[in-house]
Amino acid sequence: MSGALVRMGAIVRKEFRHLGRDPRMLLAVVITPVIQLLLFAYAISFDVENVPTIVIDLDRTPTSRSYLEKYEASPFFEVVEHGSTLADVDDAFDHNTARVAVVISAGFARTLDGGGQAQVAVLVDGSEPTAAKVAQTYSVALNQLYTQQLTRAWADAQGLDLSSLGMLEPRVRTWYNPERRSSDFLIPGLMVVIIAIVTVQQTAVTLVRERDLGTQEQLEVSPMRRIELMVGKLLPWTLIAFLDVVMITLLGRALFGIPLRGQPVALALGAALFVFASLGMGLLISAIAPSMDTANIIALLIAFLPSFLLSGFAFDLAQVPIVLQWLAYAFPAQYMVTISRAVFLKGAGVADLWPEFAALAAYAAVMLGISSLLYGRRSSR
Amino acid sequence: MSGKRIRLLIWKEFTQLRRDPLLIRLLLVMPVAQLILFGYVVAVDIRNLATAVVDLDRTVTSRKLEAAFSGSGYFTITQTPRTEDDLRPLLDRGTVKVALVIPEGTQDRLTRGETAPIGIIVDGSDSQISAVGSGYASQIVAQFNADRREASGVAIEAPGIDARVRVMFNPTLDPVNTMIPGLIAAIMMISLMVIMSQAVVKERESGTLEQMFVTPIKATEYLIGKLTPYAALATAQMLLVAAGGLFWFRVPFNGSVWVVLVGLTLFMFTCIGLGLLVSLVSRTRHQAQQAVMFIMIPTMVLSGFIFPIQSMPAIIQPLTNLIPLTFALQVLRGAFVKGSDFAALAVPMLALVGFGVVIFGASIVATRRRIAE
Repeated sequence: MSGALVRMGAIVRKEFRHLGRDPRMLLAVVITPVIQLLLFAYAISFDVENVPTIVIDLDRTPTSRSYLEKYEASPFFEVVEHGSTLADVDDAFDHNTARVAVVISAGFARTLDGGGQAQVAVLVDGSEPTAAKVAQTYSVALNQLYTQQLTRAWADAQGLDLSSLGMLEPRVRTWYNPERRSSDFLIPGLMVVIIAIVTVQQTAVTLVRERDLGTQEQLEVSPMRRIELMVGKLLPWTLIAFLDVVMITLLGRALFGIPLRGQPVALALGAALFVFASLGMGLLISAIAPSMDTANIIALLIAFLPSFLLSGFAFDLAQVPIVLQWLAYAFPAQYMVTISRAVFLKGAGVADLWPEFAALAAYAAVMLGISSLLYGRRSSR
Repeated sequence: MSGKRIRLLIWKEFTQLRRDPLLIRLLLVMPVAQLILFGYVVAVDIRNLATAVVDLDRTVTSRKLEAAFSGSGYFTITQTPRTEDDLRPLLDRGTVKVALVIPEGTQDRLTRGETAPIGIIVDGSDSQISAVGSGYASQIVAQFNADRREASGVAIEAPGIDARVRVMFNPTLDPVNTMIPGLIAAIMMISLMVIMSQAVVKERESGTLEQMFVTPIKATEYLIGKLTPYAALATAQMLLVAAGGLFWFRVPFNGSVWVVLVGLTLFMFTCIGLGLLVSLVSRTRHQAQQAVMFIMIPTMVLSGFIFPIQSMPAIIQPLTNLIPLTFALQVLRGAFVKGSDFAALAVPMLALVGFGVVIFGASIVATRRRIAE
């Protein structure tokens, strides 16, 4: 047993020496996650506010101005331009300076004074669908509310009974993340994506490289057992992955004030299982890939894309077609995103999340099992 | 410059690619996988949000409001807990994303002509769902008010706003229509940067680069011979994505093919330049792969490919102008969705020319210098 430890220690030292010799690799696994964290946390958001809006007031009356003030007061619209003709709308849409145009036709105030329906055109540029959706829904709501106020004022002035004009007022509350800061939502998931990239990609390549360089045979004629070689190869990446987890957690707390409401133990256990599952996947790739190029692309296909897109990290899985939801169960990232988010934001513990923990554990066991079998068959040839 | 030497080099490159049949297959699977994932996951149209309704009023009005929510297609009422306290576990577990709370006495308030508040709770942990969900909810409530007002008869004589809200360019608001054009540009960048930089570095790693330069081949011939196969491969991948987008996702194409071709050609120079620069600064393929990741991730995040630039903080937004893909996306989306012509896209086109001249130029100068050494 102590012999095994010595041999494994030698491999671990060798791997770290490889890393140390190539400072850029160290940069890649330590600095890149930090940059990714900052980028994602600061830049990613689907929150839509202040949609740039151009207004064209062909009426130019106090009434039309007071109507336009509703847009200026709304957090969803930001009036960036006052145009004078319809051609200004085309121009603003062509050059992407505005995404919404409000056009008030001449005679707006006169029509309203006469008790008529004054026409307003709201044009929404649909080429940015999320912003367009929000702009569309809130402009409909804004106009209905304004009409409601006009009707009430009119009925009041006529001395009519207001009882038929009661209205519902939506009071929107946002739970878990009242300021709707995307970073709270993204950072716990981002951690998973970063671990997946670092571990799968690196392990997938490290063993193939050993084969490419011919050092694989040298390792095989050494007294090293297969399991010792695998553990020795995986240990450094496990440590680095954990370093990344700790760094992201600390940075997330210090810079973005991400709460860690649950047990850190639950997070660590989840991270450990997920790292093993990812490493197993990386080993599997390196066992089946004939060359480094293929290993790279397979890693991109089954590690990067699924952990980015099928993990629920930024894109809600409940919204995707059912076939892709099934596919998502085949990758470990989604379980870890659920664990990470629940532990950070919802204060969950191991007991609440046992199905996810069980899934990850099973996944890690299967992956490591298959890959060591394949690997053994390959080297015994 | 010898056409024969270039042809030989191209033939050698293709022979090398063919020797790894798995690689070729993967290079074609890759764009298809991305097409499916980006088309169905990122460009998802938010509908049927799982919703809980707490109806404390239990009147005709409250049931009408519920019907308005479930009839909209945006919300699917899956839970009807008895009290507001029961909402907490449902939202905690993520069983529902939205909750509607109709307080007791809502109908009475309405018939007295008062303003009755109703609660809409959205799960803020997903910013896209909370933004779009609360927008839809506000719209449904506004419509509900309007219907009541019209039914009252007062509205016929009262003044009002007849607002026509019209979505231009992409009337169905289907996000896939902007995602696919963007994916075409993104695929080109990934393909040219990843595969080409690997190919050049591989040559250096295995020492065949030196062998190459004792042959009579000239630096320019070497570059053309080396680049052409990968440009052809990238074009094949782009055609695959474009075909999938147009025929499977039925993305409308409103613009001119020339705008797309000119934009992509300009952008191709930038991508080739980036690939060459990566291969120049990397000694091993492993390093090249890391360098590519180093460029790809900011590009994906900051270009507006997935996350709208509009939603980024004001300090970050200027940074997006440093990313070439930002402008390629403007050209492709402009042409596909808006049918923009060269005049409307002058700014992004010129930006692509600028990036092409600087990045491609720098990479060529640096490569020639390296070869001359």
